[in-house]
This record gives sequence, structure tokens and C-alpha cells, in this order.
Amino acid sequence: MSYMLLIVEPQGQRRLRSPQEGRELYERMLEYTAGLKARGVLLGSDSLRAESVRLDMRAGRRSVTDGPFTEAKELVGGFFLLDCATREQALTFAAECPAAQWATIEVREVGPCYD
Amino acid sequence: MVSSVAMTATDVYRTIDALWRIESGRLIAGLARLVRDVGVAEELAQDALVTALEQWPRSGIPDNPGAWLMATAKHRAIDHLRRERMLTRKHEALGHELEMEQQTNGGKLEASADDEIGDDLLRLVFIACHPLLSTEARTALTLRLLAGLTTEEIARAFLVPEPTIAQRIVRAKRTLSDAHVPFEIPRRGELAERLSSVLEVIYLVFNEGYSATAGEDWMRPGLCEEALRIGRILAELAPREPEVHGLVALMEIQASRIRARLGPQGEPVLLMEQNRALWDRLLIHRGLMALGRGEGLGEARGPYLLQAAIAACHARAATAADTDWVYITALYDELARLMPSPVVELNRAVAVAMAYGPAAGLELADQLAAQGSLASYHLLPSVRGDLLAKLGRYQEARGEFERAATLTRNARESRLLLDRAAACRR
Repeated sequence: MSYMLLIVEPQGQRRLRSPQEGRELYERMLEYTAGLKARGVLLGSDSLRAESVRLDMRAGRRSVTDGPFTEAKELVGGFFLLDCATREQALTFAAECPAAQWATIEVREVGPCYD
Repeated sequence: MVSSVAMTATDVYRTIDALWRIESGRLIAGLARLVRDVGVAEELAQDALVTALEQWPRSGIPDNPGAWLMATAKHRAIDHLRRERMLTRKHEALGHELEMEQQTNGGKLEASADDEIGDDLLRLVFIACHPLLSTEARTALTLRLLAGLTTEEIARAFLVPEPTIAQRIVRAKRTLSDAHVPFEIPRRGELAERLSSVLEVIYLVFNEGYSATAGEDWMRPGLCEEALRIGRILAELAPREPEVHGLVALMEIQASRIRARLGPQGEPVLLMEQNRALWDRLLIHRGLMALGRGEGLGEARGPYLLQAAIAACHARAATAADTDWVYITALYDELARLMPSPVVELNRAVAVAMAYGPAAGLELADQLAAQGSLASYHLLPSVRGDLLAKLGRYQEARGEFERAATLTRNARESRLLLDRAAACRR
């Protein structure tokens, strides 16, 4: 079974850190990633930049809006896709994630988008 | 302490259960280095688990539960060695204890444990798959020590009574202990052989899970995940070994087809007829990456890398018609040279038929039939029937399908073959 850990962080949080602090946190996340890899559960992971663009197609019309989106309070800052047997295991890995201390880890099971 | 208030005792037990599956291998591996006995190491790890089960529902789950378990178990290990020293006054044991107390007291327990964990785990893999043990024993011990499965879970997964598995594990641990098998990574000279024994066990676990059908106990298909997890761990621990990547690649690609290989009624769907939209692209991608890593090491390809390369040919083909059969034939040629076996020959015959026409494939299949080595294997007459039918020789094809139907033990497959035999009458 696969679970996605989404790192949901407050909008603008990154700007409050010095480059030095940012790099330190990033290093900790890399260590965490290595730990997941060493235990054979990591399927994929990455961090995401804050800048974003939104696109939608309605009635054949393409609309593209550049961020930042002031109404959004949070952004997905990164993700980890894990292969583990149960939700509890996914939660156990999430609890180890350093980002849990400054952001929220959303744990979602991979599956079809209908019931 | 983490939000212990919000967690019920049941939540805590579930978390401990999940944690055990994740951490037990590392825990046992670390302890085995200290006490030099896998069986004792496992007992110490279990003791730590029991302590957690007693304490955590009251105290909450510690911030770093894995480290907590390791520290608790290491204290037990010190007690154990101390008792052992009192009993036997072994100098060796004394030396260990001193070494360990230094680690513990120096406050460096965490760091040193982390550095060593990779190597410890690798040693544990090699011990669990030691040539002194039978394949069944290796398999049970590997699942027990590395995947953290209980005896009951292993028994369910292999459709074997629980006492049988329990006995296998007890005997295996005793064999290792009696033989004083050193807790070390094999030397260069014997590494290849020892590694192939490890890979064999992992692939066997995978295949056991892969052959399970959808309706069966979920523990059986779960074996695929366990095998993949152990394989991926091994690839991280031994990144310079091409065959490890080969095995991981092979398993990832085969696992990518799990959703497509059974029809709505649970009937098997052959590779060429599978709905490729159901293949798991992520696993295919991972499989191709692992294959690339293995081939990138620049050594001659071994059996796992070759089989993975064949699986990759299928995975890369958008439709069955796009399959590069000429390359697959070349890969089977290489595989047959390396690992001569009638089953490989039969697969080669199929590939040759797809690449160069049914007559060329039939020639190889006929040679196999003449040798008589696959006399009771249903796939030989089934392949011959298929090739004969393609050549318009329906009379002979029918006979082959009927013979294949009597040889297979799978009722669904038998029905499928009889249908094909009947179709040859028209």
C-alpha cells in the first residue's frame, strides 16, 4: 500500500528564516529522507518551491493565474510517497519527520478518486 | 512526549505494532553485534517491546520511539552479558561489556548506533540466510528477524501450520548458535555465493506472495511488499552489487502488474493480454531506475539483471505489439548460457516464435519435448499447442492443449486450455 505524506506549511513561513536556518532545516529533511530510504519504504520525495501558477480549463477556455495567492493560508511544501503496510506505519514515519515540528503532515492513502 | 492525551490505549498498541515492523530488524541487528547470538538478540528486542507495551499506554509514546527501544534493549543486553560473565567468566564477553558500557556512558550510544546500523543489518541478512540453514528455515528466519513478522503471520502467509514455522525458527536459531556462526559480513571471496543465497530467499518470498490470488488471506500478497522492502534495504546497504539491483528491478516491475494479472472473476490474465493501463507506472519507473543502477556498475549481467531486463522490455512497450522480441530473444540467449534450464529454454522458444515466426519457435519447443525434461510441465504442451495452431496444424494443436489441460493443477487454467482445444475443432 502507498501513502503520501504532504508537508502543509503556513504561507510565508519560509521568508521568516535566514538562508542559514533554511539550509539547516533542509539538511535535517535530507537525513530523514535517507532514513526512509534505508528502511526500504521510500518510493519518492521532493521539496517544492513556494512560487506557483494556477491553471484551469473551463468550457475549452484556458486560464492561467500567477501566484502568490493571498487568500491561501497554507502551501504544500514537499511530499514523501511511502510504501508501507498500514496507516499506523505511515503515521509512525510521519511522526519522525522534522517538518512535523514546524508544519503539518497530511497523511493520505493512495487510491482511486471515487468510491 | 507526544500528544499522549489524545491517544487511546488501542492507538498506542497499534502504533507499537507498526513501530515493531519498522524497527525490529535494526533493533535485532544492533543487539546481535553485542551479544553475538541472533536468538538472544531477538529475545532482548522482544523484552524491550514488552516493556514498551507496559509503559507507553501510561506514559505516552516517546519522541524518538526507535531510539527508546534500542536504549532499553541495550540495557537488557548489558544485564545479559553480566550474567553470562558471572556464569562463564568468558574474557570475550567481558571485553564486549566494557566496550558497550563505554558506548553507553559516553553518551555516544545514539551516534555509534546510527553509524553501525547499516552494517549490522547487512550482517543480520547474511546470518538469516546462512548456507547452514535449509531454504525454508532461511525464509522463515528472514521474515521473522528482518520483516518483524510473527510466527503466526509467517504460517498464514505460507499456508503452513504455526507450530511448523515456530519449530523451524527455533531450530534455525539453535543451529546458528551451536555452530558459533560469526556475526560478520562474508569476505570478498565468498560474498557472491552468500549474496546469491540471500537474493534467492528474497525472491522466493516475493514469488510466494505473487502467486497468491486476490481472494486469499491478505498476508500472502503482503509477502510481495515485505520482499520488496527487504530488497530495497539491501540495495541501499550493498549498492555496488549489480545483482541486488537486478532483483529489486525484477520485483518492482513484476509488482507493477499485480492489478492487471487477474481478471474480474479472479482468472489469470497472461502478460500479453493484460490491460497495460492498469500497470503501476511508478513501480515501473522505479524498476527501470534499479535496472539502470545495476547495469551502470558495468559488470557482466547476472541472472537477476537479465530477467529484469526482459521484464523491462515488456514494461517499456506501450502495447503488446510494440514488444521488442528480438532484444528479448537475445536476453534469453544470454540467460540460457548463464543459467541453463528447460524453463528458460521454453521461454526462449516463445520469444523466438514472436521475433522470428512460429516455425522457428516450434523447432526449439520440439527439441525440449524430445529431451523429455519438462514431461510433466503443462506449459510445454500449451506453448506447442499455441505455435501449432498459429501454423494452422489444428489437429496436433488440439492434442497438445488437451494434454496441457490434464497436467495443470489449476482448475481455471485447465478450463482455459480445454476451450482452446475445442476451438481447434472448428
